[in-house]
Amino acid sequence: MLLLFATPIQYAWHEIVEERSTERLREDAQRLKNVLERHGSDSLKAVIDTLVEAQPEGDEKFILLADSKLARVSGNLPAWPRGLSIAPGTYSLSLDLHSRIVPSIFIETTLPGGYSLLVGRNTSKFKTVETLFWVGLLGAAGTVLVIAVFGGLLIRRALLAEVHDISQTVSAIIAGDLSRRLPKRDAANELDMLAQTVNRMLDQIEHLIHAIRNVSNSIAHDLRTPLTELRSRLEELVLTRPSTEETFVEIDTAVTDVDRVIAIFNALLRLAEIDNGARRSGFVEFDVATVVNDAVDFYQPLAELKGVVLAFSAISKFNAYGDPLLLAQAIGNLIDNALKYAKQEINIRVEASHRQDVAIAITVSDDGPGIPDAEKGKVTERFYRGDASRGTPGVGLGLSLVAAVAKLHGGTLEFANASPGLSATLFMFPELISSDPLN
Amino acid sequence: MKILVIEDNERVANFLKKGLTESGHTIDHADNGRDGMFLAVSEPYDAIIMDRMLPGGIDGLGIIVALRKDGNKIPILILSALSEVDDRILGLQSGGDDYLVKPFAFGELLARLDAILRRKQESSNESALNVGDLNMDLLSRKVTRAGKSVSLQPREFKLLEYLARHANQVVTRTMLLENVWDYHFDPQTNVVDVHISKLRQKIENGLTKPMLRTIRNAGYMLTVEA
Repeated sequence: MLLLFATPIQYAWHEIVEERSTERLREDAQRLKNVLERHGSDSLKAVIDTLVEAQPEGDEKFILLADSKLARVSGNLPAWPRGLSIAPGTYSLSLDLHSRIVPSIFIETTLPGGYSLLVGRNTSKFKTVETLFWVGLLGAAGTVLVIAVFGGLLIRRALLAEVHDISQTVSAIIAGDLSRRLPKRDAANELDMLAQTVNRMLDQIEHLIHAIRNVSNSIAHDLRTPLTELRSRLEELVLTRPSTEETFVEIDTAVTDVDRVIAIFNALLRLAEIDNGARRSGFVEFDVATVVNDAVDFYQPLAELKGVVLAFSAISKFNAYGDPLLLAQAIGNLIDNALKYAKQEINIRVEASHRQDVAIAITVSDDGPGIPDAEKGKVTERFYRGDASRGTPGVGLGLSLVAAVAKLHGGTLEFANASPGLSATLFMFPELISSDPLN
Repeated sequence: MKILVIEDNERVANFLKKGLTESGHTIDHADNGRDGMFLAVSEPYDAIIMDRMLPGGIDGLGIIVALRKDGNKIPILILSALSEVDDRILGLQSGGDDYLVKPFAFGELLARLDAILRRKQESSNESALNVGDLNMDLLSRKVTRAGKSVSLQPREFKLLEYLARHANQVVTRTMLLENVWDYHFDPQTNVVDVHISKLRQKIENGLTKPMLRTIRNAGYMLTVEA
């Protein structure tokens, strides 16, 4: 590469230098020619002798005046250089000066009277510089090459070391130690980015496995109750053997027990489905305000029955990308929950969120007893039932579902005090497609 | 009606056979895909109840796809333990008429079976539905009962329309949720019941004969029969 660049540079430099040299030599030759023309050959001889004597150190000039037979007349060359033709022009040659060989450049001029004039200079200085140039270039190239190879080896060593570290950590993780993380070196290189991403993935996996373990525990614990009741009921039938009619009544109730258990399983399956993000494949564009409005309409008759007013307001139409059915179910759960505790009024609002990372806030506020601050974080856990919920139907999965739906849509479920009552807000949809305010 | 049941689980199959026979249907049963396919193409049935996961080389969806490709429009009710939304969509797209997840309540199956049997017979091009003295004008969206006009909100109209289209049949809560509100989940509270109560109040008003009946453990029915 260097050679590729160097060659034209060198060539240009060479040309320029040569041109400058020959320019001056031409000037000199012209001056000498003028002397001959104005003052005659004797004057010229004298001038040449003077010039030769007054040569400055280090800049070796050659002048040779020769007659038509190429015999030396004057100058500091012993004879006409062997092999040099008579034709005027510019010549580079190596002068053989007894003790040394000198590279030089000459201007040859034909003077009136049959004289030939050679004016030249020693170009070894330039040659030296040229050589130096090439030496320097090759030296630089060589050094760069060596550094590159060496550096490459070093980088490769470092890389291999990092990769080795990563693979060791990963092996430990695969072997079961989920708490391990890849080391971060703050190197801000690609490997570090990879390490960070992998670490985040491991965080998520650990979280999910933790959640699964928790759920399994919850399931075991909370399904035991209805299953135990069911078993007792059936065993009692076997023990007491009541009349056929009574037996069938009990069996009917047993079927209801089983249905309850099945409903719990279905709800858990659905939660798992949502948590897995599998439902993202069903995302479509839809209007959030419409879906929430439909959910409000759905619960309207029930609210009327309980004497509670459902007040719905949406400031804009919100087109967003997500799962309208899941959203409907989530809002339904929030309204259903609110209906259990509300005294007179439930407010449902759909509006643009003021937070920077989410776009829509759907808030359901009731005027009931609310949730103590300590419980607010726990209510979305599976099977969690707060103190206020004693005596109300439900198994404790409703809010878990709402939280899961929010998360699936890139948001969260948050609770606040509505004073009185509880305000539950679904923040979601960072990918808002369009919103145009209604007038 | 003559029903073909293709189900490999013996207990479920017996359950279906007994229950459906008691409801007045004639049942043929196949316990694998190959036999089921054979029966489906060689005998004339009024409907098929098909399990998705079948042994015998071909599964439920495969049979449905083959039947539909053949131009066979027989009503098919898919039974499946696969409950995810995508499974349901796949089942219906393959050509099934309805999709029921196991475990199911027999009343639910019966109601849906009747619905798809009926669907085959009726056309959807009518402009009015009449059940007894209840008249629904589908174009103007006006409802009258014994000549007197009844004012319904859009969702109430849709609810009544579904009940009217399935007049004299049991309509389960799940069917209503799916078809009137497009909700494929169980709201856990009796919201549907309240909608029905409200509708009942509007169309019955205490003065005329009751026609929106609650069927215990099953659902509702719009009917003029006693």
